[in-house]
Amino acid sequence: MAAHLSYGRVNLNILREAVRRELREFLDKCAGTKAIVWDEYLTGPFGLIAQYSLLKEHEVEKMFTLKSGRLPAADVKNIIFFVRPKLELMDIIAENVFSEDKLHSSRDFHILFVPRRSMLCEQRLKEQGVLGSFVNIEEYILDLIPFDGDLLSMEYESAFRECYLENDQTSLYHTAKGLMTLQALYGTIPQIYGKGECARHVANMMLRMKREFAGSQNQILPVFDTLLLLDRNIDLLTPLATQLTYEGLIDEIYGINNGYVKLPPEKFAQKKQGESSKDLPTDPKKLQLNSAEELYAEIRDKNFNAVGAALSKKAKIISAAFEERHNAKTVGEIKQFVSQLPHMQAARTSLANHTSVAELIKDITTSEAFFDNLTVQQEFMTGVDTDKVNTYIEDCIAQKDPLIKILRLVCMQSVCNNGLKQKVLDYYKREILQTYGFEHILTLNNLEKSGLLKLQTSSRNNYPTIRKTLKLWMEDANEQNPNDISYVYSGYAPLSIRLTQFLARPGWRSIEEVLKMLPGPLFEERQQLPAGLHKKRQQGENRITLVFFLGGVTYAEIAALRFLSQMEDGGMEYVIATTKLINGTTWIKSLMDKPKPKTP
Amino acid sequence: YYIAASYREKRLETRLSQLQNAVDEFNRAKNDFSAKATEDEMRLLRLQRKLDDEKGLRLLGLSLQDTMETLLSSGLHKQADQIYRDFKVPDKRYWWLKLKSLAEKSEWEELEKF
Repeated sequence: MAAHLSYGRVNLNILREAVRRELREFLDKCAGTKAIVWDEYLTGPFGLIAQYSLLKEHEVEKMFTLKSGRLPAADVKNIIFFVRPKLELMDIIAENVFSEDKLHSSRDFHILFVPRRSMLCEQRLKEQGVLGSFVNIEEYILDLIPFDGDLLSMEYESAFRECYLENDQTSLYHTAKGLMTLQALYGTIPQIYGKGECARHVANMMLRMKREFAGSQNQILPVFDTLLLLDRNIDLLTPLATQLTYEGLIDEIYGINNGYVKLPPEKFAQKKQGESSKDLPTDPKKLQLNSAEELYAEIRDKNFNAVGAALSKKAKIISAAFEERHNAKTVGEIKQFVSQLPHMQAARTSLANHTSVAELIKDITTSEAFFDNLTVQQEFMTGVDTDKVNTYIEDCIAQKDPLIKILRLVCMQSVCNNGLKQKVLDYYKREILQTYGFEHILTLNNLEKSGLLKLQTSSRNNYPTIRKTLKLWMEDANEQNPNDISYVYSGYAPLSIRLTQFLARPGWRSIEEVLKMLPGPLFEERQQLPAGLHKKRQQGENRITLVFFLGGVTYAEIAALRFLSQMEDGGMEYVIATTKLINGTTWIKSLMDKPKPKTP
Repeated sequence: YYIAASYREKRLETRLSQLQNAVDEFNRAKNDFSAKATEDEMRLLRLQRKLDDEKGLRLLGLSLQDTMETLLSSGLHKQADQIYRDFKVPDKRYWWLKLKSLAEKSEWEELEKF
């Protein structure tokens, strides 16, 4: 059912099974028929853990989304609220419970807090006078959700905002807890490296939690050799750039949510022959994206310019395989051919789907607007004219292009120039406020507070030094047969991944100067393993590093790490974990404030 | 935070007074840019109301650019020009807007005048 999770070096299915077991235990605690009321945000992540069929087996008969007012009618014994611990949700629950109480009396209410219960929320329920109505109030610890064989995410959307804007460390606590759960299943991770303020906090919390359990030694042979904790704010540049891998572009253009993407249906319509062309599907086409699909696993991390060739090669292989049937002479051969048919048909559907997706993307990437935007990004990244007002940005504002596009570019310029001159910064800000409305002053302030947009304070710009030392710009990036991670942005090598690469070889000592220029402390910790658990490594066996991005990671960065894992002489394989899978757009959005003006 | 609060206010007078509070705060924090921007917004809101009353438009709450656009498309060039001068809108952006609006309405004679 979740085969794609066990492909990698680390079997993440173990984690999935563990959380599924817990869910089942909770459901069985509430005897009888059940209805689940969902905090809408949770349905996506839960879909990755348990399908409806699992819930059904445990007598879940109805599911609703949490809404204020009355609950829809349902003839069930138990009503279970699956919610995040947020105060505003408690008020809605109270409202629901009140209106139910008037109608029936013989129901049991339960709350399951995800990922953790909160005193504040329970207090709120008490104030509302409904706390007593609940039979069970429990927490369901779901920190790290397996997304793929080498990818874990907490899907904690506001983590970056909370850490760098609001100084709220809740997400860091969840992170540390999540890492503890992981260590309980996969063994203590002997070495911890980190860079950044938040990374330091997480490591401290982990070490403290470990001391609290000092009595019980973890007897599992460690799977991970190293944990690398990286703050997003040491590399603000990478997410701002447009991702150029296949998966990255799908995310940039259509947005991937919990492993699914919704695409415009037109391109997929004509596939089914025989159907009348009148009833074209109007619902968006939903496609699941993970490595379980052989073809997708192959092309997801390629630079988009190499995807076309890969698809046509695949097409040839598949049609050749179908041609085989003419050569099948004996009954045995025919039988063998038939047995392969389902697999081949699946491959053909998958090929058709991805060809359509690639066509959709190509329409956009070949447009002039896309090209111009990319050119300006690459100019900034190579340090061309980053200290004056950019005419392309000016034109985009004058034409009222989407605000997020503007913000991405302006922030990028600011990051590449180590802040903008007062005059330039004020000019951009004024332009944005006058064009898009004064209310965005709140967003601009947020961007300044989190360091994405800043005033140049010293005349020295560190970025060129960082770029040169870490080789962030590669002139000769090979998109077809990459030999360096810079292929994921057609020239730009993500800073975060370069740091990871340097850590593996030759070590961070060689780039101390640059590390000092990046914000936040640098640290290294060791966790003692009980005797006898030291791993004896076989010849040629790669070491495994878990890289944790605090504040989000992009698909292009993931692609770059997968590329490093596959390098023959790398000696290192990577598993990736993050608070949230992001792209520049969703990231900036999470930092925006939008007050809605009331019309008088 | 006064700015967020100002958007919750329905009545213009209370909204303006919230913004004035914000200006004071910004001045105290020596945030010149924000103080100036907030003052501009107050000026714009007052102007929008005046024009709404006089010409029966619905400008209140629009951004400066949208205000000028609406004015131009209603043929109120003089008022738009006035805003362009008063709020120091960069020439380039304003001429773009003006060209677009004239072209949309196919007022080619007006275009000739440039």
